[in-house]
Amino acid sequence: MIRPGIRRAFRLVLWRRDNVADRVDDEIALHLDLRAAQLERGGLSPADARAEAVRRFAAGGGTATARQALVQAASHRETTMHERERLAALWQDFRHSVRGIRREPAFAVLVIVTLALGIGANASMFGILDRLLLRGPEHVVDSDRIARMYQTTVVPGIGEFTGATVGYVTYADIRNGTRAFSEVAAYTGAQEMTLGHGADAEQVRVRWVTWSYFPLLRVRPVLGRFFMEAEDRPPQGEALAVLAYGAWQRVFGGDSAVIGRDVTLGGRMYAIVGIAPESFTGHAREPTDFWLPVSARVPQPTDDWATTRFAQWLEVIGRLKPGVTFDQASGEATAAHQRAYDGSVDYEAEARLSMRPLWFDGRGQEALEVSVSRWLLGVSVIVLLIACANVANLLLARAVKRRREIAVRLALGIGRARLLRLLLLEGVLLAGAGGAVGVLVALWGGQFVRATLLPNVEWSGAPVDGRMLLFTAAATMLTGILVGLLPALMASRQNLTSALKEGSRQAGSARGGVRIGLTVAQAALSMVLLVGAGLFIQSLRNVRNLDLGIEPERVLTIRPSWLASGARSPDEQESENRRRNDVRVRALERIRAHAGVESAALTIGLPFNSRFTVRLRVSGYDSLPRLSGGGPYVQAVTSDYFATVGTRRTSGRVFTPADRAGSEPVAIVSETMARTLWPGADPIGSCLFVGSDEPPCSRIVGVVRDTHRDALREDPAMQYYIPFGQERGIGGTTLLVRPRGVPMAAAESMRAEVRAADPTLGYIHVETLQERIDPQVRPWRLGATMFGIFGALALLVAAVGLYSVMSYTAAQRSHEMGVRMALGAEARDIRRLILRAGVGTAAAGVAIGAMLAWMGGRFVEELLFGTSARNGMVFGAVASCLMIVAVAASLIPARRATRVNPVVALRAE
Amino acid sequence: MPASCPLPLVKGTLDALVLKALSWAPMHGFEITAWLEERSSGGLGVEDSALYQALYRLEERELVRAEWGITGNNRRARYYHLTANGRTHLRAETTRWVQYAELVTEVLTAKRQRA
Repeated sequence: MIRPGIRRAFRLVLWRRDNVADRVDDEIALHLDLRAAQLERGGLSPADARAEAVRRFAAGGGTATARQALVQAASHRETTMHERERLAALWQDFRHSVRGIRREPAFAVLVIVTLALGIGANASMFGILDRLLLRGPEHVVDSDRIARMYQTTVVPGIGEFTGATVGYVTYADIRNGTRAFSEVAAYTGAQEMTLGHGADAEQVRVRWVTWSYFPLLRVRPVLGRFFMEAEDRPPQGEALAVLAYGAWQRVFGGDSAVIGRDVTLGGRMYAIVGIAPESFTGHAREPTDFWLPVSARVPQPTDDWATTRFAQWLEVIGRLKPGVTFDQASGEATAAHQRAYDGSVDYEAEARLSMRPLWFDGRGQEALEVSVSRWLLGVSVIVLLIACANVANLLLARAVKRRREIAVRLALGIGRARLLRLLLLEGVLLAGAGGAVGVLVALWGGQFVRATLLPNVEWSGAPVDGRMLLFTAAATMLTGILVGLLPALMASRQNLTSALKEGSRQAGSARGGVRIGLTVAQAALSMVLLVGAGLFIQSLRNVRNLDLGIEPERVLTIRPSWLASGARSPDEQESENRRRNDVRVRALERIRAHAGVESAALTIGLPFNSRFTVRLRVSGYDSLPRLSGGGPYVQAVTSDYFATVGTRRTSGRVFTPADRAGSEPVAIVSETMARTLWPGADPIGSCLFVGSDEPPCSRIVGVVRDTHRDALREDPAMQYYIPFGQERGIGGTTLLVRPRGVPMAAAESMRAEVRAADPTLGYIHVETLQERIDPQVRPWRLGATMFGIFGALALLVAAVGLYSVMSYTAAQRSHEMGVRMALGAEARDIRRLILRAGVGTAAAGVAIGAMLAWMGGRFVEELLFGTSARNGMVFGAVASCLMIVAVAASLIPARRATRVNPVVALRAE
Repeated sequence: MPASCPLPLVKGTLDALVLKALSWAPMHGFEITAWLEERSSGGLGVEDSALYQALYRLEERELVRAEWGITGNNRRARYYHLTANGRTHLRAETTRWVQYAELVTEVLTAKRQRA
């Protein structure tokens, strides 16, 4: 007797409903026959016995009803048992798969690690993008309905400029003149201020915001309240402060009695009214310690800051009313702006205002971090695809090895659907394990990317959260199906008889084709990724080697914060300014005398910090030619400035200590200025009227190299320098030091020297000039690092894939090799045969990949620096690298193939 | 007890009786009927079809399992076996029944007591 479970598993009996009825009928028939026979033996006539048997079977309702009820019960039973068996079979398949995977731990580890890297890469990139783009800043409600405002102005003869800063007037115009927004708010960029007094002073980050800022974001305070409209009214608002949660904990130990208390910021008192919720970092995720009302700002850019169009220092955001599009809002804003335009600033007449998403940068472009992250998510999808192709390939190879087992199962009647499920289950199981390990990879990877590549963003929360787990689960499921499906389909379609006869040797050439196709795809995708990596690395190198005209990594900038002087009248302010200048000069002298200092200087205006233009007339020109880079820009510097920042002189002389206030006015111009204004002639001795048309003019005494002003990518501009002390109308002095050795190591002794010049100073800010440049380098570093990691990953996975395909192919062809060797082929020939197959596969992939990279290049062009997306050297280097890997991956299988013993191989039939 | 007036079967008891029958040997439906009639001297008032209902129910609960076999007369019949679960269940049901019966007996046969 065969057990029903087995019978069902092998489908020897179908369990369809009519079958069930038949069987019930059989049982009833037998019962009636036996009962009748029993009754006959008891003395009844055959007819009576029959009738009595029927009566006893179902006295009440009659046989038909009883039969109906029995058939129903039997069907119900069959359905239940069938379900139970299906579950049992699934469990059995699951255990079978687990056993199968555990039987080959090396294979399992390879597959799981491959998938974990692929899934983990995707999960971490998703986590980053989710935070940067999808989810919006913490505590901000519906951030996708908040728009950032940009102003585009056309300056005749120069071009279009788009920027985020506008004046308070524009904010007021938008607020009063549009219906598209439910709220409008303005804010300043972060500003560093001194908290407290003297040596205990601390540097904090402050933002000035309009009272509407918090209501617009729909944030609720954890304690106290935010600003009221009446407290933020031009021209003079109340000195209040909202404290960030982090600063509340750090500075005040989370004391709730802090509400209503005064704090000293920049020497002025502000009353704390409320505390922002934990991890709230504004609309832009920038670290902030205090928010203060815009109208309480000291000093304001001008006295008439609320009405003038000349001061532009605010950025504006607006929350769109339901149903309003960004375009409609932009149109309304532009209209409101032009209605209110008063003609005071000529280029604002035609200004257009546009509303763009929050994650756009100061120039109205999608922030480079975001576009690079978006690209990297794409790249990590490619990595996952490569991993999938590889794992599918490995599973396929395994299925080939198990061909006979699968054929036996099919012959025993396992059903192709069940087989399909078995193989799919294997894929899903492996992917599941990969996904689980992938979460760990994501945890580590997310932390790495956050800390090293996107340090400017204020992150909150763990890198792995529910949304990311959900994403990972979905990616894992998809991956499992992707890797399991192909082998499953191939296996269930195989020809039974030939498979049983041939075992694993022939293994079907069609399947070999699929596997080679997968390998080619892997090689092609790796090529694409590695070209991307190469281009980014080339860009990063170009960025690093970029001649800025200065040596920012060698130079420290020192900025003390001054105690509020209380100076009111112009005379008082004048004397305070003189005092501060004396302090700077004393500090400069002390620092110059310091043994660890190569040179030091004072400057007004500094690359990557601040730049100035003043009225300039040059003899021989009615109006100066305008360059697209803007300018001409002026800097006032002391004699050692050029030596300190490392700007080289090309002709004439640099300033000496004799060039000072009151001495003969002199000037130094940049190469671009010299070339533009005196083409083909020597500018030395020519005359510049700086700030005034009145003689004496400043005589040009030298020419120095161009320097970058504030961006790595910018057009050349005219620049000139005048001696410190001869400037008029510009201010904001920075102390520059070029120490010997590591610059930041000298920071503390420099602070001490400056404090010795004036013990009343607040916090003394010291940083290298490079720190101002780093954020601009970061996207390329992010791109180069991530593309590099992903590219290396892809290369590794592709190499393993190629190796596995080649060794399986070689193993399958061992019979053929045996014949060849028996017929006199030498080891060398065999080796060449296998190598050629491997290298051929890789070459096809490289060619396809090169084509894809060539075509797709224009999409990354704008992310690159100083290199075309079709950099022949990068393509060549990557292609040869891949080919070397291909040769290496084929070498071992090739050598193994030569060791085939012809006799053994032929007898293995 | 005369066969003409069998007692109606207490609900759920049939299952236990069928299990008891199968605890001796695998049987087909009629064999079980015959066994029960023999043991009870025909005292159990059960329609034959009810027995099959009970069997299907027991099979669904995995207390018995069925296999097709051949009878002595060379006919195809569905033979029912007791499963391990069935055996356990039978033991539990027996205990329960005996306790129940004792209780009922005790109550029904109680003598009148004077206070």
